[in-house]
Amino acid sequence: MSNAIIPLLLDSLASAALIFFAAVGLTLVFSVLRVLNVAHGSLYSIGGYVAASACLFIASRQLNPYLSFAALLFSAVFVAAIFGPLIERSLVRWTYGKSEAVQILITFGLFLILEDLQRLVFGVQSLYEDAPMRLLGTSSIGGVVYLNYQILLVGMAVLVVVGLRLLINHTRLGRLITAVVTDREMAQSIGIDTNRIFILAFSLGVFLAALGGALSTPTSGIAPGLGADTMVLAFAVAAIGGLGQIEGAAVASLIVGLARVLAIYLAPSLDAVAPYAAMLVVLLIRPYGLFGSVTARRI
Amino acid sequence: MAFKNISLAFARCLSSLQPRFRFNWELPHANLRVVVDGLAGALVIGVVAATPVAAQDKPSSVGLGVFTFTSGPAAAYGMPGKNAADLMIDEINAKGGIGGVPVTATFVDEAQGAQGVIAEYRRLAGDAKNQVMVAALSSATCLALAPIAEQLEVPTVGWNCDTHQLLMDGKSKYVFRPNGNTVPEFIAYAIYLLDRKPDVKTVAIINPDYAFGHDAAKIFTAALKALKPDIEIVAELYPKLGSPNYQTEISRLTTARPDVVFSNLWGADLENFVRQATPRGLFTSSQVVLALGETVLQRVPLPDGVIVGVLGDGWWMSPDAKANPETVKFAEAYKSRFGEYPVFPSIKMANALIYVKAAYEAAMQKNGGKWPTRAELAAAMKGSKVATLTGITQTRADNDGLVDQIVGVTVKTSAQPFPVIGDMVRYKGDSLMPQAGQDPLAWISTLKPEFAKSLPKPGSYKIGER
Repeated sequence: MSNAIIPLLLDSLASAALIFFAAVGLTLVFSVLRVLNVAHGSLYSIGGYVAASACLFIASRQLNPYLSFAALLFSAVFVAAIFGPLIERSLVRWTYGKSEAVQILITFGLFLILEDLQRLVFGVQSLYEDAPMRLLGTSSIGGVVYLNYQILLVGMAVLVVVGLRLLINHTRLGRLITAVVTDREMAQSIGIDTNRIFILAFSLGVFLAALGGALSTPTSGIAPGLGADTMVLAFAVAAIGGLGQIEGAAVASLIVGLARVLAIYLAPSLDAVAPYAAMLVVLLIRPYGLFGSVTARRI
Repeated sequence: MAFKNISLAFARCLSSLQPRFRFNWELPHANLRVVVDGLAGALVIGVVAATPVAAQDKPSSVGLGVFTFTSGPAAAYGMPGKNAADLMIDEINAKGGIGGVPVTATFVDEAQGAQGVIAEYRRLAGDAKNQVMVAALSSATCLALAPIAEQLEVPTVGWNCDTHQLLMDGKSKYVFRPNGNTVPEFIAYAIYLLDRKPDVKTVAIINPDYAFGHDAAKIFTAALKALKPDIEIVAELYPKLGSPNYQTEISRLTTARPDVVFSNLWGADLENFVRQATPRGLFTSSQVVLALGETVLQRVPLPDGVIVGVLGDGWWMSPDAKANPETVKFAEAYKSRFGEYPVFPSIKMANALIYVKAAYEAAMQKNGGKWPTRAELAAAMKGSKVATLTGITQTRADNDGLVDQIVGVTVKTSAQPFPVIGDMVRYKGDSLMPQAGQDPLAWISTLKPEFAKSLPKPGSYKIGER
């Protein structure tokens, strides 16, 4: 087993990167809008479908295969630009301040609609295009061959954490978001256009979900049903990290990634339950998650 | 006919009353449900039992309920089955249908889960037009539908249904499997592997986490241990069915450094696994055995030397298939209609429909040309021997099928742009099956190396040598 320590750690990081992309958008939207978006998984898979379709188009036209990397990014931007404002203005805004049950019911309805929409537009078969994965080649680390694309994903995840932190702490938009999160009424009273902040924050969440889906397709393809699986895992990560905590999502992704990888290496039959066992342990010790805290209810 | 309609309407009324009782009258729900379901079930059985009398007249069409996966990751395996059903039904109808009656199919998507599939089965079975069900692909679906088929007395032909557990009790009257099952299918791989790589010492397994994956691992391991007791299983992984990502599993398999990696992943799972494992060198560091590898030959660039097979004899390029003009015609028609050649699930489906047609013809021949009842159809299937597109399927007294098993390795040829199966062997179906009623694992444990030596060798199945 000693020869497996380096692969185990690397696999944990690679697995955590994918899990983080699935969860960070969910947690960001909750932190700003206080809405648990159950349709988040569908937006993840729509990002995957759009990216796979774009990469397949590039391959079919025999364009420069390196354009696939740009296609992954622009697919996420495209999905966010279309679905972010549309969903926020038409559905999500009606749930602000409503009970969690109403929010979950409405976004669950949206989830069902988006799942069927995907079947209608992209069909029911799996889509594959692995050009970005193939182009980057492989590296042998600790006696195991890894895809350089896996390592790129780890780097991308770190970049997203740092980027979000910089955005929130060191930009005007970030300060506006912080003001709205802290006290919506007060923010409105000093002239902040909270509707605009909500649209931007929700669209940023959609972008992160779609980016996660887009980045995962070169290695795993995309098929119907991915949205539901992603949503459940993303929720577990968000709960472990503390709902609304971006750094918490990053640490929780590492914990879940390590739990899954340890299960596969040491007790494969526990693979499926490992993320939820980790969630259970964390919530028993810290009911509001690792980075979460009790907030007083405002009357 | 009027009685049937009234009965069905009454059964539906009874079922619709159930929520009223529950919400308004506050009667004990569990007890009431038993009563209502019992009454409704009894009426449906009554309808079904009354149906054969009316069915003596030739119907306007022969309805088939065809169960397969048409959505989700499993559709990569299920859709070729559906495509083949569409094509074969068209071919049957072009030749005048069955006994002059055209065939129609109602497709049911198994991806909806067992509860939905059972409801669809009951709905279709309630219609006398649907005399036969071609069900199903998934072992789990087949196990769920088998008792209902017996209850409703509807002949049900498992077009895939690999699990050996399906007909183990030997009491089935209406469920038939004109295929092999997990026992001969995975013993065949163990024998072929040991013939091709006799010095194998360590094996790792990665199978889907449900009955098919676990059964296959048990049978393959038991056969290897019986034939070469010093073999060690160094890793057993069972990822969830439908997993999109196998990167950690691939790392785990690599660190175990096995001589052989065995897998019965299928559908999109198999495609994902191959796409992810190939660049990471798994196919060069270990001998890989992909039990359902033939299904991805035309889609994924598999390297040479991977042991693959067709879980039966359904290889459209086998010497027997090539020698049969009907098979060549079917394969070309399939290619021109769907853009790729039929994979073995397509052949299994086509063979299942040939089996159904043969049963109708045998039943009509037996009763003087009259349209057969469901019971007569089932009787015609029992003990039958039917020539299919790729060989012979024989139905034993326990309704289980005997078909040959073809195994080989991937090779490149100039004839096709994708790898094909070379160095083939064709094991006789009955040589790898325990007797009816015998415990399969107990039987496998009695196998000796001499048993494997008595069987044909890799490369022995060639054109002109059958």
